[in-house]
Amino acid sequence: MNPRPPTPPQLADRLLAWFCAPHLLETLQGDLHEEFAYQVERIGQRRARWRYWRDVLGFVRPYVLKRNETEYTQPFFLSPEMIRNYLKIALRNLTKHKVSTLINLAGLTLGVTACLVIYLITRFELSYDTFHPDRDRIYRIAGQSKFGKNDEFRPLGFIPRAAPKAIRAEVPGLETVATFHNIETDVIIPNGREEARTIERRTMGTDPAQIVITEPEYFSIFQYEWLAGNPRTALNEPYQVVLSEDRAHLYFGDIPPDQMLGRELIYRDSIRTHVTGIVKGWHQNTDFSFTDFISFATIRASRLKQEINLDEWNDVWSSSQAFVKLSRGTTPAQVNDRLAVFSQKHFGPNRGTGDFRFIPSLQPLSDLHFNTDYQDNYSRQAHLPTLYGLMGVAVFILLIAAINFINLATARSVHRAQEVGMRKVLGSSRTILLAQFMSETFILTTLAVGVALLITQPVLLAFQSFIPKGVALSVFNPQLLLFLLALTLMTALLSGLYPAWAMSAYQPALTLKGQTALVGNQKGYLRKGLIVFQFTISLVFIVATLMVGRQLNFIRNKDLGFSTDAIVLINTLHDDKSQVLAQKIRQLSGVDGVTMQWFAPMGENYMLTKLTYQGATEIETEVSAKVGDVNFIPLYHIRLVAGRNFLPSDTLSELVINQTYARTLGFKQPAEAIGKLLKFNGRSYPIVGVVADFHENSLHARIKPAFIAYLPNMSRNLGVKLATKGQQVSDATLTLDAIEAAWQEVYPNEKFEFSFLDDSIAKIYEKEQKTSLLVNTATAIAILISCMGLFGLATFAAEQRTKEIGIRKVLGASVTSIVALLSAEFVRLVLIAVVIASPIAWYAVNQWLQDFAYKVNLDWWVFVLAGALAVGIALLTVSVQSVKAALTNPARSLRTE
Amino acid sequence: MKRTYLGEFEEIVLLLVAGMDGEAYGVGITHKLNEETDRSVRLNQVHAALHRLQEKGMVASRLGDPTPERGGRRKLLFTVTAYGYRTLHDIKEMRAQLWDNVPAAPKLAFNL
Repeated sequence: MNPRPPTPPQLADRLLAWFCAPHLLETLQGDLHEEFAYQVERIGQRRARWRYWRDVLGFVRPYVLKRNETEYTQPFFLSPEMIRNYLKIALRNLTKHKVSTLINLAGLTLGVTACLVIYLITRFELSYDTFHPDRDRIYRIAGQSKFGKNDEFRPLGFIPRAAPKAIRAEVPGLETVATFHNIETDVIIPNGREEARTIERRTMGTDPAQIVITEPEYFSIFQYEWLAGNPRTALNEPYQVVLSEDRAHLYFGDIPPDQMLGRELIYRDSIRTHVTGIVKGWHQNTDFSFTDFISFATIRASRLKQEINLDEWNDVWSSSQAFVKLSRGTTPAQVNDRLAVFSQKHFGPNRGTGDFRFIPSLQPLSDLHFNTDYQDNYSRQAHLPTLYGLMGVAVFILLIAAINFINLATARSVHRAQEVGMRKVLGSSRTILLAQFMSETFILTTLAVGVALLITQPVLLAFQSFIPKGVALSVFNPQLLLFLLALTLMTALLSGLYPAWAMSAYQPALTLKGQTALVGNQKGYLRKGLIVFQFTISLVFIVATLMVGRQLNFIRNKDLGFSTDAIVLINTLHDDKSQVLAQKIRQLSGVDGVTMQWFAPMGENYMLTKLTYQGATEIETEVSAKVGDVNFIPLYHIRLVAGRNFLPSDTLSELVINQTYARTLGFKQPAEAIGKLLKFNGRSYPIVGVVADFHENSLHARIKPAFIAYLPNMSRNLGVKLATKGQQVSDATLTLDAIEAAWQEVYPNEKFEFSFLDDSIAKIYEKEQKTSLLVNTATAIAILISCMGLFGLATFAAEQRTKEIGIRKVLGASVTSIVALLSAEFVRLVLIAVVIASPIAWYAVNQWLQDFAYKVNLDWWVFVLAGALAVGIALLTVSVQSVKAALTNPARSLRTE
Repeated sequence: MKRTYLGEFEEIVLLLVAGMDGEAYGVGITHKLNEETDRSVRLNQVHAALHRLQEKGMVASRLGDPTPERGGRRKLLFTVTAYGYRTLHDIKEMRAQLWDNVPAAPKLAFNL
C-alpha cells in the first residue's frame, strides 16, 4: 500500500479559495497541486510546502482576484426596482403572519416608546445650564461645614455672607466673584393716582425662585442679552432693579423696553426701586430662573440690612449664593487649595466663629442640577442615579423587544427555508436576501417608531407626576430626529441582522430537499438563551417590584410612634396673634384638639441642639428638639413610658425625653431618668417624662435622642386634630372652612394655607414613590413583552408539532400530558432564568435598601414568589396555545400528507 | 508595421504552447520551460503570461477532462490561435531579416 500522498498546506488552499475568482479556482488549484506533487519528489515535502505557500501568494494578482461577470446580470442590491420588490414582499409577508407581526410591532412599539420617553426626560435634565459661554469656568462656592466641636463635616451649598467679599480679595485665580441672595416678597407696582397692583410671591416648592438681590458681577458670569439699560451701571447704586423682558411685560404691560426704564417697583412693602435695565430671559433649561435683579447696594441702604447681615462669618443661610468664574489657565484644584488656606484663616478657634467651621470648595456649574448634597433655595435637583437607572431600563426593554423579534423570526424562518432555497436557485445573491429580510425589519421598526411617536404625548401626560415640567415632544427638533433615526437603525439592526444572516445562509440544495434546520443552530440554543435572558431581566424587575412595594408598604404602615390621623398643620406668621387663632380654633365643634408647636413630630424641618447631662460624668449630646405646648404629646398620641407630660406653664420649665436619649444617658430603665437635670442654653431643667421612641425623620435615618419641651417663642404654628368619631369627610370640609374663617378674622390680609400631616409625611418619600412607579411600569412592560414573545414561540411550537401531537393522541396520550409536553421546555427555561436572576436582583435590591435605616428583610420567599409568578405567567401564556393544540382532532392534523 | 507587442517571456511561452500541440497547461509549460531554457520560472509567472496572451488573443483556452492525479480537477489547456501563429511567424521573419544583415563571421576586434 502506498502511504497517503503528502498534501499541500490546507490553510494556503483556503486562502487561495478565498481570494481566487471562482471560475479560475479549479484549474489554478489543479496546477498548484500537480506542481506540489512534483516538487515533493524533487525537493522533499518540507521545502515543497514552503514553495506552495510562495506560489499561492504569488497568485495574488488582479486577474486572479477579478470575478468573472456572470451571464445573468444581477441588479445592484439597492437599486430602486429591488427596493420596490423588497417592500412588496415584506408587506406581503408581514400581512400574512399577522400574529407574529402584531407581537413584534407591539413589543417594538413599547420598547421604542420607553426609549423615547426616557430620552426626552434625560435630554431635558442633562441640558440644564449647558448653554452658558465659559460654563467650564463657572463654579459655585459650596463647601463642608460643621457647627459643633464633635459634629461631622456636612456638605453645604451656601456660604457665610461675609465670605465672598474676602474671597474676592484673598483668593487668586478668580476672574469674577458674584453673590446673590434670593428673597421672597410680593411686588407692588405703583400706578400713578390709580391703585397699585400687587404681584404675589411665589409658592415655595412649586414655582422657581424669581427675585434676587445681586452684585453687578452676576452679569459678567452669566451672559444676558440687554434690551435696555447699561450693563455697566445698571446695578451699581442702591434701589436699582433689572428685570427680565417677560417679567417686565407682566408689570408694565406691552410697552417697549426703553420706556420701562425709570419705572418704580416696590419690594417688601417699602423698598422702592427704579428699573435700570431690561434683559432677555433665557429660553434654555436653567436653574437660574430669576426675573428681578435688585442691586446689591440696596441691602446696606435699606432695612434689608437687618435681615441680610453681610458681615456674618458664623452663620449660613440657604438663600445666599456665591458664584465665581475662574481665570483662564487656573485649575479648580489650585483654587480649592487656596480656599482651604482661606478657611484656616477665617474659621475656627480664635477667629470669632466659635465652633463653626467652614471649608469652602468649588462646585462645577454642571454639578448644580444633580448634586443633592448641596441644597439651595432655587434649583431643582435631578437624581442622577435615577436617570441612569431609567436609561438602563430603556435599554433593557428595547433589548427584550429585539429578542422577541429575533426569536420569532428565527423560529418562523423554517417556514421560509424553501423560499430562500427557491430564491437562491433563481439566482438571488446573499446580499439581496439579506436586504430583503432587513427591509422587513425596517418596515416594522419604522412603523413601531411611528406609533411610538403618536403615543408618546399621552404617555407623558399619564406619567406627569414623575416627569419634570417642561419635558415635551417636539417632533421637528433636529436632535430628536437624529435620535429617532439612530434608534430606528439600531433597533432594526439589533433585531433583524441575526435572523437575516441565518435565513440567508440556507443551502438551497438542502432546503429544497426538505431539510429545514438552521445552519449552526441545530437545537435552537440561541433562541433558548435569549428566552432565558429575557426572563432574567423580567424576573429582576419582578423581584424589585415586590421589594420596593414591600418597603413602601412598610414605610406607610410602620408605627411611627405617633398618630398622623386627621391632623392639619397650619403655619402662622409667628406673631402673638397665633395664640388668638389657636383659641378660636379650639372652640370649633369639629376640632378635637389644638397644639401650639414649632413643627410636627415628623417632617422636613427639624432642629438639633446640644444638651448636657450632669451625671457621674458630664455627657454632652446632640439632641433633636421637638417644641410644643402641653397638648403636643396627647394630640399626637405619643406614648409615655415613664413619668408624666410637662405641666402647663408660660415658659420652659420641664423636659420630656425619648427612650433613645434615656438609653444614651445610660439609664437601664426609663423611669431612672425621671427627675434628673439636663442643661439647655445655660440653665438646668428636670426630666419629668420619658416617651416611647418616635420617628422624626424619614425611615432612612435612625431615631436620634430627642426631647420635647415648651418654648413659647418658637411654638407659634398650629397642629389641629379634627374630630373623627362619627364624622364624615364632608364634616371635615366644613371644619376646615370654619378654620379658614377663623384665620381670616385673625389675619385678614393673609392667605390661608394648610396641609395634612399624612401628606407632608408622604412628601418625604416622594423619591421612593417615584422609584416605585418606575419599577412597576418597567416590570409591567418587561413582563408584557417577554410574554408576548413566549406566546409567539408557543404558537409556533404547537403549530410545528401538530403532526407529532396528532400521532401521540392517536397512540393514547392524554390532553394533560400533551400540554405538559409543550410547556415543559418553556418552564425549564424560566426556571433557569430564576436561578440567574435571583443573585442579580438580590444585589440590586439590597443596594437600594441600604439607604434605609429601617427596612424590610430580603426574605427568600420573595424570590420564590417572583419565580412562581414568572413560571405562572409563562405557563398561562403557553398553555393557551398548547391546550388548543392538544384538543385538536388528530384526524384532521394527520389527514394531510 | 502595426502589430501587438510581445515581450520576450511571452514569446517563449507562446512558442512552447505552439510546440505542445494542444496539451499545453500551466504546470506542463513551466516544467518544459525550466528544462529547455534552463531558467527557473515559477508557476504564477507562466500563468500571468498565459493570461496576457489570452487577452491579446494569441492563445485560446478550454477545459480539459478531469484527471485523477490532480484530485479530479480539470486542466486549463491552451492552444495558439491563428493570430498567435502569425505573430510568431512575423517575429521569426523579422529576426531572420535582421540576421541577414549580420556578417557571416565576426571579426576579431582585438590585435594580439
